[in-house]
Amino acid sequence: MLVFACAFCIQAPAAEEQPKSNNQDPKNEPFRPLAGEFPPLEKSHAYRGELTFVDHANRRGSIRVQSDGKFRFIPPNPFAMLPYGIVRYHGAPADLRDVPLGTMMHARAFLPPDPKLSAVPVLPINNRTKKEGNAGVGSAPAENHVLLLEDEPSHCLRTGKVWKLAEVEIKNKQGMIVARRESREAGDTQAEEETMTFDAATRIWRGREFLGVEEMITDGEWPASGKKSLEDQAVLLGITWKPTPGSVFTRFHISDIWLDDAAIQRAARHQNETHKAFIRARWVPAFVDAVEYGEFGTATVTATLFGEIDDSLYTDFKKDSRALMAASENTLKHWAGGTAGTAQMASKGPITEVIKAEGTVPLGSSGIQIKFETDLITEGIRPNRVVRLRPASWPDLHVPREEYLRDHKATHEERFPTPDVFPKY
Amino acid sequence: MRFLVLSSWCLVRDSLLVLACACFVHAAAAEEKPGTKNQKPGTEPFRPVAGEFPPLEKAHAYRGELVFVDHANRRGSIRVQGEGKFFRNDPHPFAMLPYGMVRYHGAPADLRDVPLGTVLHVRGFLPPDPKLSSVPVLPVDNKDKDASHYRGTGIFPAENHVLLLEDEPSHCLRTGKVWKLKELELKDKQGTIVASREPKTGVDSTAEEESMTFDAATRIWRGRERLGVGDLIEEGIWPADGKKPLDGQPVLLGITWKPTSDGVFTRFHISDIWLDDTAMERAAENQTETHKTFIRSRWMPAWIDAVEYGQFGQATVTATLFGGMDDSLYADFKKDASALMNAVEATLKHTHGAYGPAHMACKGPIIDVVKAEGEAPLGSSGIQIQFQTDLIIEGIRPGRVVRVRPASWPQVQVPREEYVGDSIDARFPTPAIFPKY
Repeated sequence: MLVFACAFCIQAPAAEEQPKSNNQDPKNEPFRPLAGEFPPLEKSHAYRGELTFVDHANRRGSIRVQSDGKFRFIPPNPFAMLPYGIVRYHGAPADLRDVPLGTMMHARAFLPPDPKLSAVPVLPINNRTKKEGNAGVGSAPAENHVLLLEDEPSHCLRTGKVWKLAEVEIKNKQGMIVARRESREAGDTQAEEETMTFDAATRIWRGREFLGVEEMITDGEWPASGKKSLEDQAVLLGITWKPTPGSVFTRFHISDIWLDDAAIQRAARHQNETHKAFIRARWVPAFVDAVEYGEFGTATVTATLFGEIDDSLYTDFKKDSRALMAASENTLKHWAGGTAGTAQMASKGPITEVIKAEGTVPLGSSGIQIKFETDLITEGIRPNRVVRLRPASWPDLHVPREEYLRDHKATHEERFPTPDVFPKY
Repeated sequence: MRFLVLSSWCLVRDSLLVLACACFVHAAAAEEKPGTKNQKPGTEPFRPVAGEFPPLEKAHAYRGELVFVDHANRRGSIRVQGEGKFFRNDPHPFAMLPYGMVRYHGAPADLRDVPLGTVLHVRGFLPPDPKLSSVPVLPVDNKDKDASHYRGTGIFPAENHVLLLEDEPSHCLRTGKVWKLKELELKDKQGTIVASREPKTGVDSTAEEESMTFDAATRIWRGRERLGVGDLIEEGIWPADGKKPLDGQPVLLGITWKPTSDGVFTRFHISDIWLDDTAMERAAENQTETHKTFIRSRWMPAWIDAVEYGQFGQATVTATLFGGMDDSLYADFKKDASALMNAVEATLKHTHGAYGPAHMACKGPIIDVVKAEGEAPLGSSGIQIQFQTDLIIEGIRPGRVVRVRPASWPQVQVPREEYVGDSIDARFPTPAIFPKY
């Protein structure tokens, strides 16, 4: 009876871990990313939503996911970035901390790779098909582990799209714009028109200039009052959400308009520089592909650097130059041993080879693999684990307290954050 | 004799029971207000009182980096600057008082408007009611304690209920200061600037020089333009390489923090430089417009000063509007105009009917608008309204917080996380979400 009870106890949590997956034919099991592999983008679930909460230190947050329901009723849906997950803002690599709350983001996401370790709630696999009252269908997808999170201009730049402005209606420096997202070149007959609001806080970027609606009126581009055709003017838009009247299910708001390429290039350049400084301070994340152990602690480590970082950072990983490699977690937090920060416990040694993959690389990967020799391997550097590494030529900087795990004092919750921080609605 | 012994035993037993109860009550009272038991009434630490705006001079002032935001509950975390190694300071939770003000780019703001990493000036108080605090309640003398591990004292003040939270340019504009740039050193579009915060006019010989970093991501604002370090080099204003004196050039600075090397305890980073007044005014105007839309959609927060009940649910309510908003919003509260008033919590979250805040709100005319003479305390607008309704609701009681809007403002619906449902945790958030380091 005791054995039976124990078997029952073991089976019950297993059923809970992977809802709806027990008794399934392996071919029918839902796709989950595997440790050490970059999942194919085409297997992700795509959705869009408003960024409503950020816990950047644990690379997670919440998004109000657009559905067929009333947008304001949709509770924020927690998400976690995969370790190789990419954030893009203003057409450049970014971190969650760089993205303002309220920004509408496009997400490509998967089921949790390991539900037991999920930092966000694990939902039934079919949750995106369920109707959540006034929030509609699809507002709480189980696919909450994100590979790609990009704002509107980043999405458009990546997919070769622009917004074509059809018409503006304005009064007291606020109003509506009707526009379509479509290819820059030819007209896209399938593109749907969308009406969005704007107001006196909408930022308009032209070349080096930061303008407001008032300047567009003063410059004669827009009327002070009334409607005007904008003749499909091609722009890029920053999109957010602001409260709407009760009769409006979903309508978005324009936070930014980039009128020309120079303006968005400047924005991208600025964000790129922000991210470069960020990565130099935090080191480049990577998967360990293989470890060949030598004697007395020596080892040769093969690792694939994660993608979407500025090329100038990858070029610093040169054959025969020295590097440091430190264990990390899925949150990409550092392990800070002792008082000297990450570098104290990091493995050190030369890069013996740098291999650049040919052809297309999967999203999340840089396509760059390095071989690294060390005289003292550390425990966390094992195949399929996440590490952080930097060339020795980069400055040795100390990350702030919430971004490191403090050696043996780190709690289980710090290493593997639980979903408890998210409110239940 | 046996009777006497028995009755004596009962007396002793009862006395012991009374004594035990007294000890229990005393201990519980001691736990509620740490550090205050046995204090004479005049020496109790100051706590804001419901329905009163606390004097700014009683606030504890500190500065730190914004590290976490839970805007829906008007709280977050700040890495407080101490005398030790800044990077080691744990993020320190804070909560905005209901009338607490956030200022960003010299204009009213909400926490959601302030980018993570921004260094902010804080004026904080002890929790008004520790039992209901949405952030950890700390010993009253916590700011005097050494946090150890080279972190120094003062980095975990118990005064974590904030009246005023302002970024660097807002602080300078409010106090009549500017940053005077002394020298820069530059290589590969990054480097350090030496500057001091001084009065805009005149000289302050006590002002200390501070060295801060900048890099290619630093935004430089001039008139309508947003420039980068590369643009200033191209224009010949800054050298491509080397040092240059800046002759005390007055500017406003946005300040953040980026990781520093081992030998540096605390050094901040310049995120923005506003080179002229026009640039700063434009930034302030944009933020003001952002906040105006925000308040129109969430309604104006206020205290209830008094309620006079009539018959059958009628009442006349006197309320003081909270301060720090754009004047144009207050101007919409006019005598004889219709208004709506809804109960909210200390987080300023609406209580909510099925059709939004307006569903359950009291409705009626504003019958008087009184502007106080002289300067109002920080947190108050100095504007008191009298409002009549034919159906008063429970949450509108003296000392409680409400949200009120003129009927002329658009009726829009707030998002899910900004209204209270049935959960007690949503009404009174606990500190549980903050990690312990």
